[in-house]
Amino acid sequence: MTLPSNRVIGLAALITFIFLGIPMLGSEYIMGLGLTLLMWIALTQSWVILSAMTGYISLGHAVFFGVGAYVMVLCFNTIPFILSIIIAGLVGFILAFVIGYPCLRVRGPYFVILTFGLAELIKFIVINVEAGMGKFGRLVFGAPSLEILYYLILSLALTSILVTYFVRRSRFGFGLRAIRENEEAAETLGIDVARFKALAFAISATVPSMVGAVMILRNSYFEPMDVFNPVTSFTIVSMAIIGGGDDAPGPIYGALALVLLQELLWANWPEIYMIILGILLIIFVLKAPQGIHGWIISYRKYGKYENS
Amino acid sequence: MLRTVFLALLMLFLCFSSKNTEAKDVKVGFSISKTGIFAAAAGSQLNTYKLWGEQVNAAGGLTVGGKQHPIKLVFYDDQSNTAKAVQIYEKLITKDKVDLLLAPWGTALHVAIVGVLERYKFPMVGNSAASVLLRDVKAKNIWFPTSSFPDVQSTAIAEILQNQGVKSVSLITNQLQYTQENKKFIIPALKKARIKLLVNEDYPPGVKDLTALLTKVKSANADAVLAYTYPGDSVLYAKGAREVGLNAKTQVVLLGPQYGFFGGIFGPAANGLITMGHWTPYRKDWPNAKKFYDDYTARWKGPPDTLDAPMTQMSVEILEQAVAKSGLNRDKLRKTISSETFQTINGPARFEGVMNVLLPTMMSQIQDGKIHIIWPPKQATAKIISKPAWK
Repeated sequence: MTLPSNRVIGLAALITFIFLGIPMLGSEYIMGLGLTLLMWIALTQSWVILSAMTGYISLGHAVFFGVGAYVMVLCFNTIPFILSIIIAGLVGFILAFVIGYPCLRVRGPYFVILTFGLAELIKFIVINVEAGMGKFGRLVFGAPSLEILYYLILSLALTSILVTYFVRRSRFGFGLRAIRENEEAAETLGIDVARFKALAFAISATVPSMVGAVMILRNSYFEPMDVFNPVTSFTIVSMAIIGGGDDAPGPIYGALALVLLQELLWANWPEIYMIILGILLIIFVLKAPQGIHGWIISYRKYGKYENS
Repeated sequence: MLRTVFLALLMLFLCFSSKNTEAKDVKVGFSISKTGIFAAAAGSQLNTYKLWGEQVNAAGGLTVGGKQHPIKLVFYDDQSNTAKAVQIYEKLITKDKVDLLLAPWGTALHVAIVGVLERYKFPMVGNSAASVLLRDVKAKNIWFPTSSFPDVQSTAIAEILQNQGVKSVSLITNQLQYTQENKKFIIPALKKARIKLLVNEDYPPGVKDLTALLTKVKSANADAVLAYTYPGDSVLYAKGAREVGLNAKTQVVLLGPQYGFFGGIFGPAANGLITMGHWTPYRKDWPNAKKFYDDYTARWKGPPDTLDAPMTQMSVEILEQAVAKSGLNRDKLRKTISSETFQTINGPARFEGVMNVLLPTMMSQIQDGKIHIIWPPKQATAKIISKPAWK
């Protein structure tokens, strides 16, 4: 495994230092914005481990976010919340591993539809279970402060970045990329394809479940329609496409671009921000189909913009 | 040179002095469901907020500590999403630094932002919502002017059913917050009234068709149908009921018939539908009710609904009177709202906990295209009629 260069380590340390310092600015708005940004980085990084590395596009990652949130509201005020976050991660891992084995037998658009359908199925199971229990939305009062939640999400974002970085450079990561390029060939090379895919799915589900558990403490209200909202899955995919590539920097660029752009437009043109955002995204996808990360690599390599 | 400096200083002084004599804007913030599943119903709330802002500014501004200040409304689309609403209210408080907050649309969004209101100790008068959940957790910074709390409303519905001689009921319920709360309380109320529950089915919020469910309801042939809908799916209910010929003589459609779009779609066919609501412009003892109805109709070229628009108007009237008395200080404002009596277009209002204790629970019915209060008899503006067959 190749270790990161000193320049990369220095840059990563500087960015981490900046994010560590955000709560000290004393602006809850900036801290909230930072929290949202880190949340999307963590979610998109996790998605990259499965979908960008193996080529199996998941359109149902919102389910893990929702399951994590559900675990948290069920455990809230009964066990320490840190323990609830860990349990949420474990539940996400096991759930993905169990459903991964049968689901990952199908490929291409079938897998995309399957993951989307599965997420909707689990959402409606939770809705029915809640309705059956006579619950209709749950309030989470007495959650930790925004600062604590910020640092928790920061640590999850850092974890997901490191996991993506090291997985990509490990034997496991090479195996996943071999599956993406040619699954049959990978199998003939001795890669345990079914186990690799299920494990990648399980790893990519763990952090989103933990993120869901933390974020429900911030929103303080659990409503299944919102926590299992498919828009979460669509946003993750959009960020990964905008960021580009199958490595750790892509999701960071994607989340940074989309969150900041959205915030800038929303704050200044609340009436028409969705229209502007849509137009900008179309232009971006047409002009830079390889994503920001791909564009940077191509710029470094050739010293100019290369479209292919 | 000296003359230039003198002139510059004079200009600067004039600038500052003119700024100081100008009344500072009072920033009033809220989120609104312009898109998403609540958008069909939230329009009248936004119209009422805008009308209020225009009327207050036309009259010289909002009275704060004896002085009048113009109002500036700051609002964002919450996309009918609870997480987005939470984010918006945090932004309104911490970045936009609004002086006052108004409510979003619906129970789910009200409940969602309670955590933010409690964290920042920011008082807000709610409107288009009522939740026993919030009453039970004893929230301190939100109040509901409505009397349509699910528990007391369920008692009123059971009384109406008894009054109409209903012996059996079919119940279908949207899985959203407010309708589920109502379902929870209507079942024991029906049992107490010895009314049989023949069908009891839920359906998801984003439902696109209710025909299969309504066929089941029709084959059960109950004396009454309780359709616990949200505004969007109330249309599906009425269309489906008409298609399958569901002609029970008592049909309660919880949320939907109060809105202008419902009457526009179904016209006279909607006559006889019973619905929730405690306001009508035809009550003589609420002098400002008709004025609000006329002002709204003139401004927006159409009448208001009889649920959200009046509740929204109540909330801004309460806020306006509270601010006139206590100013913008949040602690004083909280104390004033929770202890004083306010005059509104729906009669006097006074809160105990989160509930308005001066407004009795009422139910309404569409009769000749107009909404009338039909229960309790003491409050009624018309007598209950049976639902004619769908046309």
